[in-house]
Amino acid sequence: MSTIAVVILVLFSAALAAAIVVRPAITVNRAGKILAFGVLFFLPLFSLAVGTENEMERSKSTSFCLSCHIMDSYGRSLHIDDPSYLAAAHFQNHRVPADEACYTCHTNYAMFGTFKAKLGGLRHLYIYYLGKPPLPQDITLYKPFNNRECLHCHLGARSFEQGATHNADPATLPAIKANTLSCISSGCHDTVHNVGRWGDKVKFWDGGS
Amino acid sequence: MPAKDSMDRRLRLSGVLVITGLLIEALCLVWSKPIAFVVLVCIGGALIGLGVLLFLYSLVSASPHPTDSSGAAPER
Repeated sequence: MSTIAVVILVLFSAALAAAIVVRPAITVNRAGKILAFGVLFFLPLFSLAVGTENEMERSKSTSFCLSCHIMDSYGRSLHIDDPSYLAAAHFQNHRVPADEACYTCHTNYAMFGTFKAKLGGLRHLYIYYLGKPPLPQDITLYKPFNNRECLHCHLGARSFEQGATHNADPATLPAIKANTLSCISSGCHDTVHNVGRWGDKVKFWDGGS
Repeated sequence: MPAKDSMDRRLRLSGVLVITGLLIEALCLVWSKPIAFVVLVCIGGALIGLGVLLFLYSLVSASPHPTDSSGAAPER
């Protein structure tokens, strides 16, 4: 359901509840009692559930993540015109959905991954508003990036399974799959966002959303 | 009738809580900031929940209708 539709539903529910507040006497007869049950029990809970679901979906969007100023440079890193920048290459070539770029890579593809991602988001908020947020270049992951999140898409892909570098040593591919050799911190795809280390020569692609 | 007044007062208060919660929810839905989610759930959700609980309490605490009481005249 679109945000506008949810807002209309919420305001409609509030308007009906206002009718009960103004004239509680309408609940005297049976129809009024049914109306009161719908307006003061069913509709508010339904509106709350739909609104919460809407917010949960919106919290997956790239624009939502980048609405915090501290994430500005991470958003700009998606537009770096250099294919060696992993996040930029994925975003610009739609290897991840451009409108859910942050969430797609930074969620956990195990059980309760979405739930853990939301808890992580609440932790971000806590640090942002009540703690001491680090400088953008000093932000680190809470846990090392798990290859599982990369393999969610790349496992079985020809470019991954038959890639020359991945097969140069027979031990490499099994180690990647077992998460003992990290995709991004073992000197292979280690240029991800690189915030704070761009230098003067970095160029930006002005396309995309 | 004090019982009816009490019921009306509870219904009104319940409605006011629900309306306030719903308005906060509507504002959060158009406010595109991460804190909006927390405000929606913690403040909007709490107000709506309180309003609903008060409404349910007003139902169970309402004095029974005279014809529903056990003291009704037996059938002849």
